[in-house]
Amino acid sequence: MSPITTGVVGIILLVILFLLRMHISFAMALVGFLGFTYLSTPKAAFSVLSRDIYETFSSYPLSVIPMFILMGTFAFASGISKRLYKTAYTWLGQLRGGLTIATVFACAGFGAICGSSTATAATMGHIALPEMKKYKYDDTLATGTVAAAGTLGILIPPSTVFIVYGILTEQSIGKLFIAGVIPGIILSVLFAITIAILCWRNPMIGPPGPSTTWKDKFRATTGIIETLALFLLAIGGLFLGWFSPTQAGAIGAGGALIIGLARRELSLKSFFEAGKEGLRTSCMVIFIIAGATIFGHFMAVTRIPFVLAEWLGGLPLPSMAIIIVIIIIYLIGGCFMDSMALIVLTVPIFYPVVRKLGFDPIWFGVMIVIMGEMGVITPPVGVNVYVIKGISPDVPLETIFKGIFPFLIALFVITIILLIFPQIATFLPKYITY
Amino acid sequence: MLLMMVITCIDVVGAKLFQWRLFGAIDIVMLSQIVAISFAASMSLILGRHIQVEFFIVRIPRRAQGVIESLVLLLEMGLFGLIIWQLFKLGYSFQTSGEMSQTADIPYFPFAYGIAIASVPVILILFSNFLKSIERIVQE
Repeated sequence: MSPITTGVVGIILLVILFLLRMHISFAMALVGFLGFTYLSTPKAAFSVLSRDIYETFSSYPLSVIPMFILMGTFAFASGISKRLYKTAYTWLGQLRGGLTIATVFACAGFGAICGSSTATAATMGHIALPEMKKYKYDDTLATGTVAAAGTLGILIPPSTVFIVYGILTEQSIGKLFIAGVIPGIILSVLFAITIAILCWRNPMIGPPGPSTTWKDKFRATTGIIETLALFLLAIGGLFLGWFSPTQAGAIGAGGALIIGLARRELSLKSFFEAGKEGLRTSCMVIFIIAGATIFGHFMAVTRIPFVLAEWLGGLPLPSMAIIIVIIIIYLIGGCFMDSMALIVLTVPIFYPVVRKLGFDPIWFGVMIVIMGEMGVITPPVGVNVYVIKGISPDVPLETIFKGIFPFLIALFVITIILLIFPQIATFLPKYITY
Repeated sequence: MLLMMVITCIDVVGAKLFQWRLFGAIDIVMLSQIVAISFAASMSLILGRHIQVEFFIVRIPRRAQGVIESLVLLLEMGLFGLIIWQLFKLGYSFQTSGEMSQTADIPYFPFAYGIAIASVPVILILFSNFLKSIERIVQE
């Protein structure tokens, strides 16, 4: 078999193993190892297997992942998420659909200190869903909102997906982070507009919460000060070039820890729980990267990414049409695969194509993250939906999936806006040097 | 991971405020990451944190599911067997060549052996799951 045929067979085998419920990271490592053995020698493949695992586990650039994950888990354990929700709730709760709108902005705020969509959805789900149940919010709207708004966690910096994309493509993590800010704000507003439209059409689904005085509102605003301080210190420090990404994550995690201790919210038990939770998530992400690194070596030997880039670049189609095809591939792939795994697997294949077509790599990173956001809420593999199902076991899965559809429209709208106006994503990174 | 965070924070605060760098901070962070991630692998596996695609397999008969699961687990055990063997070889090559970290001169070989040793419980968990799936096939 030629290297390209071997590569295609490898990709098919990988998909089959995914469908047979093999762990994604292990499947990539296995197929990568077998393919490399076939195309080179078993000795070289053994060396790739052990070296890739060792080098991935010991990679200093990758240490940014555990640090930002730890920042999110410590922020949760320190009660920051509760206070954020209270602020949003006090300001917006009395509006029609106000609790859900408050949830969206609380998720956006928590997204500014947590880099994971599932963590954001889980955190806010635990806080917001009981409140919405109390005020008799429709289950479809309530659960759909939390699942969808949780996705803001990977668009608003810090973001584990941006970090992994940055490492895979050797792009500045600081530039990627800042590129997500304006799209993140626009998407939060689009989600809020979606809720407003839904509640305007059927006021019964989101009755207003209790009214609050201006005094209450201003008092509750203190709840965002610590989030703002943490964001400015860690992410602001990264943007200004004070810290490397790993250092920014560590300072953010340390800051969240100090807030928890100062407020006496962090018990020894919750401290260890947060640490363990961060470690397990980091372990999962780094294993996927290790598997993808081995698979990536196999793909590089097959030359598929380069041949695909040449072929797509030579097609008599406008660049925009090709990029739309790539986006559709991500959209379909996201329905069936975890977004992190999909990105790690496909970015090495599509990135050379995108560069050859002349698109901005930072803009493409933002597009990939938005596709990832769609992936975590679309059936059948919508991780955020399963997270919300875990929090509200009495709500049928179909109800939650039904609830996310209006928000998918908002995600499509932001995709189209970014396709037409890529400057929204590329404007701010120009001012970042790191 | 806490060590990684503390070491990085001390290094940053020292460098920014006192013009002082913690010796070997990057080396310690890298090597702590190896220990943290490799020893967390088995616990993550027990808790089902490693991602799998679920939607296809749940649609086929339970007996067939059990057979497929057993075969997949065998493949995974084979993979981890190879990984352990090769990491011991890598550790031995580090040991004989005397490879060390760039700043603090910490030898690499114990960490390669460490990943190999930490992968042994992963095989045991996979084997336990394999036995359970065989049991399910028999019961069906």
